[in-house]
Amino acid sequence: MINTMTRIFHSSSALALLVLLTGYQTANAQLPAADADRLAMIELGKQHTTAEALYAYLKTQTNSGAALTYDTLPDWSGIYSVGFTAAGLPFDYTQGATDLPSAKLLPEYYEKMVARIEARNKGIEFDPLGKCEPPGAPRGISEPFLREYAVTPNQTWLMNEVAAENRRIYTDGREHLPAEDRFATFDGDSIGFWSNGALVIHTNQLREGMYQRGQPDYSAQIELVEIMRKTDDNTLVSQVWAYDPVTLTEAWYTVKTYNKLTDPEKLLRVHYWYCFDNQNNDVQEQDDGSTQFTDFEFDN
Amino acid sequence: MRNTFNLLVITSTLLSAAPLLAHHSTAMFDEKQTVTMTGTIKEFQYTNPHSWLIVDVTAADGTVSTWGFEAEGPTTLMRSGIRKSTLPIGSKITVTANPMKDGRPAAAMIEATLGDGTKINPRLGLVPR
Repeated sequence: MINTMTRIFHSSSALALLVLLTGYQTANAQLPAADADRLAMIELGKQHTTAEALYAYLKTQTNSGAALTYDTLPDWSGIYSVGFTAAGLPFDYTQGATDLPSAKLLPEYYEKMVARIEARNKGIEFDPLGKCEPPGAPRGISEPFLREYAVTPNQTWLMNEVAAENRRIYTDGREHLPAEDRFATFDGDSIGFWSNGALVIHTNQLREGMYQRGQPDYSAQIELVEIMRKTDDNTLVSQVWAYDPVTLTEAWYTVKTYNKLTDPEKLLRVHYWYCFDNQNNDVQEQDDGSTQFTDFEFDN
Repeated sequence: MRNTFNLLVITSTLLSAAPLLAHHSTAMFDEKQTVTMTGTIKEFQYTNPHSWLIVDVTAADGTVSTWGFEAEGPTTLMRSGIRKSTLPIGSKITVTANPMKDGRPAAAMIEATLGDGTKINPRLGLVPR
């Protein structure tokens, strides 16, 4: 009888412990909400000194997430586009029309940004995109025009009409290349995991670039953490933390909202971009840093 | 000389319309100036990243000059209700645009009115909806 009671007690204790652990895991298996307070998310970025550390933290918080299967794929179908803000297409969606970008920049890069903006205001500006150079990441997340997403259990593709760009996010459990084998590319190397319909991404191996025209530069040491998810049938939201020890004193946080476009006649297609399909689209950087068309084919 | 063509209106007023959204700087266009001119469509180059509407504009003295109007690319035009077939060769059109600062016969299209009175705005499609 005592042995029976003891077994029951032990079984109950084990069950309670299991419930406790399960409950703990359930309560802990959370990501920041898509509409989480911006200042709290900035603080979260500051609490982790590297993108790798923030990604590892999110992974811990979600118990490494749960692998997708073809039965549990979220529906990210359709064509999406990002909207404009008062400042146009800034990295930080809260930037006002006359504000400077909110990035906490080191002095050298702050001065470079201010000089870029002053030159831009005088009409002196050349954008490598003008030659169809890919925007890459993180710039690409702010680009307008069309986007599509292909979600599979082991990879998710983020396709951008601009320069026919395609970011592949590997969710099959692989790690990044070893540090000694990494090389910079426009879209870098992205790994991720899923948790409750949200895709958490860590990206490294990026090239240097600029966040957007009138925005700061980033270095080849930039790394990103992103959390992407649908918030309703027609809205896809991405929270982004950019870490760049060369240019930033702390992570730069933003939220991008991509709206699903209505296309009842199914006319929209994501077409390939090639700047030289049409001679009239060819632009060149001038000696003073400005942009000018080359010869028009209709000029007579 | 190029200014002698069939310019119906030249104003220095700023339009409320958004500027051309381009993959390149648009500083070569004078966004403080608008020109409005009428002509015959010679070609509609429906290409990425930008389309170009080529229009033969006849001046008061009968001379013809060919102008190019840069506009958004096909997917934005499609979302603005402008298909390739919307602007057939040979059609009459009146275009309002921001001209080049250097005087070349090209401009950034703001809006246009077809011969049948249909109005088009290539930038409508920039707003997600």
